[in-house]
Amino acid sequence: MALLTRALSARAGPSWRRAARASPGFQLPLLEPAAVTRALSRAMACRQEPQPQGPPPAAGAVASYDYLVIGGGSGGLASARRAAELGARAAVVESHKLGGTCVSTAVCSVRGRRFVSAFRSTACARSYGFPSCEGKFNWRVIKEKRDAYVSRLNTIYQNNLTKSHIEIIRGHAAFTSDPKPTIEVSGKKYTAPHILIATGGVPSIPHESQIPGASLGITSDGFFQLEELPSRSVIVGAGYIAVEIAGILSALGSKTSLMIRHDKVKEVKKTSSGLEVSMVTAVPGSLPVMTMIPDVDCLLWAIGRDPNSKGLSLDKLGIQTDDKGHIIVDEFQNTNVKGIYAVGDVCGKALLTPVAIAAGRKLAHRLFEHKEDSKLDYNNIPTVVFSHPPIGTVGLTEDEAIHKYGEENVKIYSTSFTPMYHAVTKRKTKCVMKMVCANKEEK
Amino acid sequence: LEDHLTGQRDYDLLVIGGGSGGLACAKEAAQLGRKVAVVDYVEPSPQGTRWGLGGTCVNVGCIPKKLMHQAALLGGLIQDAPHYGWEVAQPVPHDWRKMAEAVQNHVKSLNWGHRVQLQDRKVKYFNIKASFVDEHTVCGVAKGGKEILLSADHIIIATGGRPRYPTHIEGALEYGITSDDIFWLKESPGKTLVVGASYVALECAGFLTGIGLDTTVMIRSIPLRGFDQQMSSMVIEHMASHGTQFLRGCAPSRVRRLPDGHLQVTWEDCTTGKEDTGTFDTVLWAIGRVPDTRSLNLEKAGVDTSPDTQKILVDSREGTSVPHIYAIGDVVEGRPELTPTAIMAGRLLVQRLFGGSSDLMDYDNVPTTVFTPLEYGCVGLSEEEAVARHGQEHVEVYHAHYKPLEFTVAGRDASQCYVKMVCLREPPQLVLGLHFLGPNAGEVTQGFALGIKCGASYAQVMRTVGIHPTCSEEVVKLRISKRSGLDPTVTGC
Repeated sequence: MALLTRALSARAGPSWRRAARASPGFQLPLLEPAAVTRALSRAMACRQEPQPQGPPPAAGAVASYDYLVIGGGSGGLASARRAAELGARAAVVESHKLGGTCVSTAVCSVRGRRFVSAFRSTACARSYGFPSCEGKFNWRVIKEKRDAYVSRLNTIYQNNLTKSHIEIIRGHAAFTSDPKPTIEVSGKKYTAPHILIATGGVPSIPHESQIPGASLGITSDGFFQLEELPSRSVIVGAGYIAVEIAGILSALGSKTSLMIRHDKVKEVKKTSSGLEVSMVTAVPGSLPVMTMIPDVDCLLWAIGRDPNSKGLSLDKLGIQTDDKGHIIVDEFQNTNVKGIYAVGDVCGKALLTPVAIAAGRKLAHRLFEHKEDSKLDYNNIPTVVFSHPPIGTVGLTEDEAIHKYGEENVKIYSTSFTPMYHAVTKRKTKCVMKMVCANKEEK
Repeated sequence: LEDHLTGQRDYDLLVIGGGSGGLACAKEAAQLGRKVAVVDYVEPSPQGTRWGLGGTCVNVGCIPKKLMHQAALLGGLIQDAPHYGWEVAQPVPHDWRKMAEAVQNHVKSLNWGHRVQLQDRKVKYFNIKASFVDEHTVCGVAKGGKEILLSADHIIIATGGRPRYPTHIEGALEYGITSDDIFWLKESPGKTLVVGASYVALECAGFLTGIGLDTTVMIRSIPLRGFDQQMSSMVIEHMASHGTQFLRGCAPSRVRRLPDGHLQVTWEDCTTGKEDTGTFDTVLWAIGRVPDTRSLNLEKAGVDTSPDTQKILVDSREGTSVPHIYAIGDVVEGRPELTPTAIMAGRLLVQRLFGGSSDLMDYDNVPTTVFTPLEYGCVGLSEEEAVARHGQEHVEVYHAHYKPLEFTVAGRDASQCYVKMVCLREPPQLVLGLHFLGPNAGEVTQGFALGIKCGASYAQVMRTVGIHPTCSEEVVKLRISKRSGLDPTVTGC
């Protein structure tokens, strides 16, 4: 541990005890080797000197840090915590709840829901010898539990930051026109030689001008606020979010439609019995057909996500983005402005929590441990779509491999079978596997 | 008999035993265009249980075991369901008969499937109990009393094993059953005493507890001998805190049938010497397995066996003491008793015999999973094996206590959800062994086995991005070493 060596060489003697005493709730250990190591490590995780938890800087003054992180989600928190472990004085700016998309509005929640659906088939339980297993589903119960769990996670994240002596700045950050890169949050200014943008993204909604009544629909953010299971759901989109949410709703008993590719929503109207969704279905080779789905109580847009970069005043520093607003970074997460970096969904590449975390940590090691070549390898990142059945994937798709190596050099091994779990059940689901190999060595 | 006298042998390959290994050999050889015969025979268990083609795995092992384990897991999920919003009336009773019928029907369909496969590949199948007449010939008695002689250029013995009965214990044979019988019971075994500490004992006790039966496990010394002992104790701890009773350090001495039909077992506490008794509906012996070699007349062929275990002795090419006779699977000395190793060894052997290959079976880093209520998957060395081989100073163990996301909402106890990776201490820290205790351990361990086969180092594992949210990702997030003494509990994302 680099921090350990630094601490021991820089300050001899009881300095770690001083830091240890300053840490809340910490007791001086007995001189037992394991306990000493534990205490040392814990002290090392904090700064050597306790950070003053005083009032924010007076107007006009600029608070200075080693590392400023804009966005307290998966990427931002991981980077800030690793930087703090490496000795940096760090602060995280967050305008909503700590934990970001992953915790509050997505991943963990979806996974929790998936479990519910997996069990929905009480017929399965019956086949395994549980004859009286009939289940009705109560949405309220799971929502309460989910909300409580998310709340606990928010608190855990807050505590983690406090334990690492990372300051939490509440509010919305925007860059200023100051000569040194500076951000302003609720009228106060902050600066650092290293600033990380990890603001994530938001679900896209079509413009009212494109699709009248679009705002009558919700997004994945709204999905987790639903109080009841919708009886009629229409999900627009074909990505993993659309597929996962449609899968959950359908399995739990909502009559669900998934609008993809050949279906285009034209208009949404509100009636007394729910929403009326009008669309054009244009299957190639046939004439386009106008259809309408009445009495929809949940219309959900899952048509993509936009980077959360608009309100940052990036133009003040000339930070480059692509035409969708994603912050452009190199393989080391550098933006075009020295001292400004970006990780996670706001960059638009591999929108996954473990990726944001890994990239954020690699960056922290590069900046604060001077590991100049520390960067994340974006190849072969595994991921899962929690559809029913789920899809697990890593590496190139068949098309990507053919494109890269040429059809003659690509060999596909595949299998399809019914998992033994379904040997005794009425409901059967297939398991399909495909291994894409290239060249003579069949890599 | 006439064929035998003309000097030309009946088959290129004769496979004795139609289980996982035997069938794999036969089908592979047939695929290479050889004339193949398989002989398979199931001696009924002392309780009279018999079954069809497919061997232990299909009939009285892996397959029915996993299905019954799944039935037990479902019981747990039903208990969790109300937490997730399902209005399911509790408790939900379990009907053994319904489950057993479903399981037995599936096994029978597999028996049938194997018969059809052999037929399709033109492999001759004889349902006879074979024994050697000489080194190229076996004889057996078919239904109806007719004696059949079969000769072959090459012979592969894959007769597997059977559960051991403690014949020195009074009443053991008459009143006890084994894994040969448990999956074929028409009626529920009721209150059961499982004697043994093997994975068979623990898996059976596990699913019996899970479907609601009063279950006790009697262990004389240590659980899961040969497995990592830290992991093994956690497996037991989990079972003990979830309804299975344990009698540690005890050995049974007598089994008696009471007038009301129940079984009375007498045992001795090995430390105190005190005697105790208990009443059960069923006593299940799971104290190990013995090779099926006695009735083969191996001496007639000159095949050597181990004097201690009676298992067949082979070299690295699966060759026995007789040049053209080979052996694979559970019947072989010093080999893992697993279906996938028998299958792979069998296929490689046949490729060497008839396919011009020289590839040998690699028995290192074979992954496996114990399907106890909380599953234990492992590949590579146990911590104690690694320390014995390399010395404590050269071994680094990374570990973590984690909590599966699915356990949170249901309020399940995750105390034994634990993963550890045993590595060499010197960079890049080669991974010597991986041990995972948690749900779906088999699914988790399989992928990492490939990594270890490719010589993965701790550094490489740490560069692997995790899949979120899963339990599997905890492996690539391992940071805390045992040596550091730090708390290995995972907190938050």
